[in-house]
Amino acid sequence: MAVAKKRMKNRNNAAYLFVLPFIIVFLIFSVYPVFRTLFLSFTTYKGYGEPEFTGLANYIRVVKDKFFWRSLYNTVKMWSLNIVLQLGLAFLLTIVFSDIKYKIRGLAIFRAVYYLPNLIAATSVAFLFKTLLDWKYGTVNQILLASGLVSEQINWLGQKSTAWAVVSVIQAWMWFGNSFIILMAGVQGIPNDYFEAAAIDGAGRWKVFGSITLPLLRPILLYVAVTSLIGGLQLFDLPFLINGVAGASTAGEPGGTLQTVVMYLYKFGFETRQVGFASAIAYTLFFIILFISVMEFKFLGGKED
Amino acid sequence: MKFRRVMASVLAGMMTLSLVACGSDGSASAGTETEQTADAKTNTESVGTSGEKLVIWTLAKDLQTFAEKYVEDHEVQIETVVIEPADYVTKVQTALNGGQTTPDIIVGEPQMLEDFYDAGYFEDLNQAPYNAQDYADQIVDYVWEVGQDAEGIQRAISYQITPAGIYYRRDIAQEVFGTDDPAEVGKLFADYPTILSTAQKLKENGYRIFASDAEMGYFSGDTAWVVNDKLNLDQARLDYMDLVCDLYQNDLTAYANQWSTPWYQAMAGEVPILTAEVQSYADDSVNVWDAEAFAEATKDLATTQVFAFGLPSWGVLTLRDNVGETSGKWGVCSGPAYGFGGGTFIGISAMSEHKDLAWDFLKWVTLDENTAEWWIEKSEGDTVSLVSVLEKHKDDENAVYGGQHLYSFWQEQAAGIDYSKVTRYDKIVNDAWGAACTAVKTGEADKETAINEFYDVVESTYPEIQIER
Repeated sequence: MAVAKKRMKNRNNAAYLFVLPFIIVFLIFSVYPVFRTLFLSFTTYKGYGEPEFTGLANYIRVVKDKFFWRSLYNTVKMWSLNIVLQLGLAFLLTIVFSDIKYKIRGLAIFRAVYYLPNLIAATSVAFLFKTLLDWKYGTVNQILLASGLVSEQINWLGQKSTAWAVVSVIQAWMWFGNSFIILMAGVQGIPNDYFEAAAIDGAGRWKVFGSITLPLLRPILLYVAVTSLIGGLQLFDLPFLINGVAGASTAGEPGGTLQTVVMYLYKFGFETRQVGFASAIAYTLFFIILFISVMEFKFLGGKED
Repeated sequence: MKFRRVMASVLAGMMTLSLVACGSDGSASAGTETEQTADAKTNTESVGTSGEKLVIWTLAKDLQTFAEKYVEDHEVQIETVVIEPADYVTKVQTALNGGQTTPDIIVGEPQMLEDFYDAGYFEDLNQAPYNAQDYADQIVDYVWEVGQDAEGIQRAISYQITPAGIYYRRDIAQEVFGTDDPAEVGKLFADYPTILSTAQKLKENGYRIFASDAEMGYFSGDTAWVVNDKLNLDQARLDYMDLVCDLYQNDLTAYANQWSTPWYQAMAGEVPILTAEVQSYADDSVNVWDAEAFAEATKDLATTQVFAFGLPSWGVLTLRDNVGETSGKWGVCSGPAYGFGGGTFIGISAMSEHKDLAWDFLKWVTLDENTAEWWIEKSEGDTVSLVSVLEKHKDDENAVYGGQHLYSFWQEQAAGIDYSKVTRYDKIVNDAWGAACTAVKTGEADKETAINEFYDVVESTYPEIQIER
């Protein structure tokens, strides 16, 4: 008895009791849905009755569905421009703020300001940009007209060629501050010795960046790229709310160009009640994200030194 | 340290509360005399103070009014929860799939019912003690049929009929066509080519035939969208597409969208003639959803008066609230085909523990003559489904419509409705067809491309439907 008590004390079993609530909630709300969705993806479940097993039929349907591929193309297109702008801007700011020659003060204030767009609800962001980009009387068009850069208003959200880019730019605007904070944290984690040694050796700004900052930031970059990919391919709220010049919808107006994979999934899960097919879309997206993440690890991760 | 301890306790308490709240079944508000809670999505009202409790989940606020009346003469409590249509199906599915015994009463619109029947959510009303089949001849035929599942078992009943008609301005008809007789005016809407020539003549006289180009939506299609598992794009649908394009491209409407400010405004007389861009929201400089902003933005535009609206019988209530000084100048005539739109069908949840009470309420709402009489008065003109009451009111004159006998007219229209045209696919297929029509009318796509895209959407959404291109 005494031995058992001692063993229990030694292993700090009481700690398990403290994490038990989390584990129970995690199992119910995270693990169970993941496996339930996987199971449903092999059925024709319609939201009621018993799920009917259909093997890979839903997955075959996903692969053959041109609108699924269109929504994936739209999603990747919006994410690609977004990540280039988001990371590009974050990098630029990181270079400026981390340069020992500039010695810019007030980093904390700038960090907070850059992060602010990320704190605004997507609904407000959508409304804000719909107002700014209004075809006839929007501020952006008025400025462009007044400055003579364009001769007539641009229908930013109403035409296919610009609507998707607008969403990408808004996404980049919302997220560059987040990337900047992470990259800055990474730069600040690099020992100063490296930079001082480079300075003594007479290395220029770009040489320092290319040979010291960038290689040592690679793990952080990988983190930013993977989390951005996961978030980007699950894009829903902004294009759903913007929906061209119409009201919120999964249609992805204009002409389906803003319809993302998750909006397409939502259409089947909640509008046409094809829960099995929606689950298959969800898992297909999961495997696509997994594949691209592995590629990112392969090409960005490199070997641990 | 003490602060941290207090914060930890508060956070732990909040988490516990959130878990408890997740497990609540919505019946916590029982027992209050009159309690109203409202958020963006639902509106809950409890009436009655004692006795058994009935919970109703509905799409239409009408049932709240019925519940308030019911508790006046019955020793019961009723909690009515009005849920947004977009959320209704999900909420009912979640509750009933989870084996929840409330709600006791659930409702559905025609396009939702087939799934609800298949899911077994509605109680079989043909069995004892309900024996609904005994009441079959008391309700208008098509409504009775909508409430039956594929095996002909009665699952739901509606208190109203919703046949479609064309509401027109008698004064304009008299001025332009020399007659305001509903039978004669009905000939001006006999088919799509005739509607176009009617529209042209009205435009020549300074009027517009419709406020929007979607007014014939309730009458489109001679057959069902899906017949024997095959998509059925009949000639009437194609003619409808042509009509929509002609109306739009030849400036024959006021370019208002249904349910927008100018659309309602057109019922009262003068309305600004908008542009195609405003209607398609490509130009959103005119806020058509805000009366004040709309008036300001359109004060310099030319105006017109609109001749007609295509709406189901519940349009009587819409016009009643919006006709203003044109009251008494309206008439209703038949459209190019029979049609109907909407309708709230009431059934008993198969999981309910208060089925007897639910049946009593259902009977009282749908099959009781006194209730139907009260509802006609209370709603100021809704069209009930009880045949005996419709017969009794067939000679009633409606002052808004120049004394026309509307109940008689709606009964005739209801007799022509073919419910077999309604399928579970209608919502998505209609939306896709609407998108195709819009693409063609705005010049975004040619007819062939738009129809092929329509086929693609239907094929992708419902692979079980065969499509012959």
